[in-house]
Amino acid sequence: MDVRSQVSMVFHLDKCIGCHTCSIACKNIWTDRRGTEYMWWNNVETKPGTGFPTDWEDQEKYHGGWEVKNGKLGLRSTGKAQTIFNIYHNPSMPTMDDYYEPWTYDYQHLFNAPEGKDQPTARPISMVTGELIQIEAGPNWDDDLGGSPVYAESDPNLKGLTPDQRAQLFAVERLVMFYFPRICNHCLNPACVASCPSGALYKRGEDGIVLVDQERCRGWRMCVAACPYKKMFYNWNTGKSEKCILCFPRVETGQAPACFHSCVGRIRYLGVLLYDASRIEELASRPAAELIEAQRSLILDPHDPEVIAAARQNGIHDSVIASAQRSPVYQFVKVWKIALPPHIEYRTMPMLFYVPPMSPVMSHQANGTIHNASDELFHDIEASRVPLQFLANIFGAGNDAFVRYALRKQKAVRWHRRALTVGDVDKATADRMLQAAQCSPEEAEAIYRLTSLCTFDDRFVIPPMHREEAIQMLEDPLERKQAAGFGFVSGPRRGL
Amino acid sequence: MKSRFFPMAFFLVCAAPFCTTAQQPGNFFQQNCSACHTIGGGRRVGPDLKDVTKRKDRAWLEEFMEDPPAVLHKRDPYALQLQREANGIAMPAVPGLTPALAEALLNYIDAQGGAAPPPAAAPSVAERLFTSEDLAAGTELFQGTRPLSQGGPACISCHTLGTMTGLAGGRLGPDLTLVYQRLGGRQGAGAWLTAPPTPVMQSVFHQHTLQPDEILSLLSLFEDASQRSHPAAATAEIPIFLSGGVLGAALGLVLMGWIWRSRIGSVRRTVLKAAQRGAA
Repeated sequence: MDVRSQVSMVFHLDKCIGCHTCSIACKNIWTDRRGTEYMWWNNVETKPGTGFPTDWEDQEKYHGGWEVKNGKLGLRSTGKAQTIFNIYHNPSMPTMDDYYEPWTYDYQHLFNAPEGKDQPTARPISMVTGELIQIEAGPNWDDDLGGSPVYAESDPNLKGLTPDQRAQLFAVERLVMFYFPRICNHCLNPACVASCPSGALYKRGEDGIVLVDQERCRGWRMCVAACPYKKMFYNWNTGKSEKCILCFPRVETGQAPACFHSCVGRIRYLGVLLYDASRIEELASRPAAELIEAQRSLILDPHDPEVIAAARQNGIHDSVIASAQRSPVYQFVKVWKIALPPHIEYRTMPMLFYVPPMSPVMSHQANGTIHNASDELFHDIEASRVPLQFLANIFGAGNDAFVRYALRKQKAVRWHRRALTVGDVDKATADRMLQAAQCSPEEAEAIYRLTSLCTFDDRFVIPPMHREEAIQMLEDPLERKQAAGFGFVSGPRRGL
Repeated sequence: MKSRFFPMAFFLVCAAPFCTTAQQPGNFFQQNCSACHTIGGGRRVGPDLKDVTKRKDRAWLEEFMEDPPAVLHKRDPYALQLQREANGIAMPAVPGLTPALAEALLNYIDAQGGAAPPPAAAPSVAERLFTSEDLAAGTELFQGTRPLSQGGPACISCHTLGTMTGLAGGRLGPDLTLVYQRLGGRQGAGAWLTAPPTPVMQSVFHQHTLQPDEILSLLSLFEDASQRSHPAAATAEIPIFLSGGVLGAALGLVLMGWIWRSRIGSVRRTVLKAAQRGAA
């Protein structure tokens, strides 16, 4: 057992309102520099939809992530020989058009325009060429299904849906949607790290945050092609690649990352997980249907004395172990099993988990009354407007059992609380539902509290980072502390 | 470094003409004029200069000798006539030919005119028939596979021949396919090669004179070329090479397109087009 710690995340999609506050918080802090105009380390997608970059989930096109070939795990986009062969032209590179051409507006024209019959307008200008452009797409072009049916109907997750299920999703004027906020998943088996010819990408030992060493990056962009979530971005100004850094300077000082902190719906949770690093390769090679269970088995119980002993042996600080024991992520993922990894079939073992969203049901009208009840307790899960299969394509590698389990439990918790507080549902039915959803009343209470009444400290259990321990192999922490903040800081730039 | 060497180079360049002016008119004629002219020995590329002062006044002659291109440029009728008689070959400006030297040369020609042609005035080229060995040696010398004994550059670096296949040969200097006839056959061309009079050839071969056996071999090659070929032959294969290059490049692009056939074009546009087709 090789126990390591990872700062991981849960996004509760049932609470996401799609306001993009997270994206803006991130943009303002990290990607408002020259060369990063098009980057969205955090973005919020509307589902069904094609996301950003367009159709990123279609790995037949983008060749991201891992695949098992002859029993061995290998990158889809590249290999040792291919890296050399394709080093000056990577055929799996998304084009600028797949992201979007960033633009601004000619605001000066509003002030300087000569007097005329019409009001002057601020025309869009490309931030790449400086020319006037016709805007064809943006990072959020199909937000709230604005680009439908073009974009929504091209969603790769519609694969395997029956015509009925599609009709359910796309019923005219009753189009349904949910939001899918995305940041870097800080994967356990990161394809970006594996693909880098310069060895510039690394996963931090103490907290699992995946970072690009800006001094070693040579801009080969193999990571851009390899990351199946397309969360690696190339900065054309510095000639280096960049990615979400999970606001590590904030996390190191005990603050939640900006997107977490600013989240209006309070959908984001952050906490430490302990995992067994020695089994990653073995478990990531399992058949797709077993991957969710495999990843769960990687995550270790922080209360298990054996795990604690192994963690201590690996130099994990007691305070971090204590933090892992209070981790909300551990509760969602491992104890309650209602948070699921996105596209586990890419085999990168993402460490950001999603609680799948509930959606409305189709009602029918008869004799002037609307019927949406049924004797079957969980009928509205099966009949929900967003088909289970669609959610399963995102959160269950196509297997709807995990999504069904998570949704049934959420529904049972709702009915349990409804029986307690509103009283329009009888207690016996609520208990029956809890039982059917394999949820004890105590667990239901806990889920309810962490979902609805969670405070800042409940959501973000940030471990002490103990940077002094992490850096003491390289330099004297005391000397570092005494010298910090004095000297020169130079930004990344092109060249060696 | 640069500034230290510059004055020396400047000095050498300036000194070069003075070396030639110090010569006797007889030597000068031998080195600079005899390639094209004789005095009473008959016409070569240029006219026989015997009695030249009787055919034209000295002032005109001196002006022409000092700068023939300038006179031709003025479209002087007599100069143009001379050019026509020389198969269109214009007399080049002779470096180091000062007004004083021009006068001395005319005196020398007048003095020589009465006498029988001096034996040294016409550089001798062996009279024997060309053999196939001569031709082979000439080809080697022309192509540079055998170096010129005095270290001069191989002809091929600037010239080409109709008998050479492909794109062989340089394009900097003129095509030499018909040079044998143009310079008046064995004697004319031979004399020309003994002391090349044009400014470029003179500057190149001044220090690296061609040896008589080399000249013989080259003449053999030139005669062969003028009999067997024509100038167009030297450029005949250019279209083949060009079209071959274009075809090769196109094939290369097709091959690259095939190797990287699964590369990403624009995913978004493809999605958009597919959806629009579906809607229509």
